[in-house]
Amino acid sequence: MILAVQIVVLCLIAVAVLLCGICFPYPSPLIRRWLPPRKRWPEMQIRGWLKDGKFQRAFLKHFYSDPERVAPPGDSMLAPADGLVTSADARGGVRYLVIALSFWDMHVQRSPVAGRVIGVESHGDGFMDGEGREFAFLREKTCPVQKRLAIATEDGPVAVRLITSVAARRIEAWVKAGDKVARGQRIGRILLGSTVVLELPESARLLVHSGERVWAGETAVAERPIAP
Amino acid sequence: MNGFFWVSGHLGWGIFAVGAFTGLWVLLADLCWRFWIVRISRLATAMSVGWIIGVGLIALFFT
Repeated sequence: MILAVQIVVLCLIAVAVLLCGICFPYPSPLIRRWLPPRKRWPEMQIRGWLKDGKFQRAFLKHFYSDPERVAPPGDSMLAPADGLVTSADARGGVRYLVIALSFWDMHVQRSPVAGRVIGVESHGDGFMDGEGREFAFLREKTCPVQKRLAIATEDGPVAVRLITSVAARRIEAWVKAGDKVARGQRIGRILLGSTVVLELPESARLLVHSGERVWAGETAVAERPIAP
Repeated sequence: MNGFFWVSGHLGWGIFAVGAFTGLWVLLADLCWRFWIVRISRLATAMSVGWIIGVGLIALFFT
């Protein structure tokens, strides 16, 4: 009896070690569920899946997750996407707040303000790997494939640009011209990691800085612009 | 020392402890490698030293 228990215990440990070795450098299924997303599905593994076109079901479930978000009180502008703010440069009276999404971020975009959609335009013809962030100001040819959702507000127009990458080849816009949108309402989705640019008036006071992490529909990124 | 490997029709508790400890130590090393950014050589050295100490203690306890 004792021998049987000993053998069972040693076999269980051996199986765990074997699984660990087979899956290495990726995590064994025994520990995967307890790891944070970045550790659970390393980037190298996701890029491998992108090549093969086959994804682990658990990763897709995580990727397509669309949790409810509660907008903070007030009328500040909200982040349109989950991700890292990579720049907030101003050009020609418009401030471009660039948010970089990763494979592990929630990919549903939300309206930063309440208003009316005045246009949903498609631009670009290139699929780029991360460089989309550097091409954020371009709207014409040779720029990455993108959709620009313009929203009219009381303080002037605001736009959200959903930019793809080599990995993300599909953008879904869930609103159309003429639709009313609420602050924090879902407006679209980019499939797999890419970039979202929020275009806001230069006079709007920014509440976030480059390098900060933001959450769609929850993080206030700017105060409404001061009326001239 | 005889009781270390085999005793009364089952594995000696000493060798059983060494086996279980070694397996769990490998799993722990894998977890450490995933959670901390460490140089693989440094981790391997630390885990090897830990394993030697662990096995040494088991040997002391069961002999």
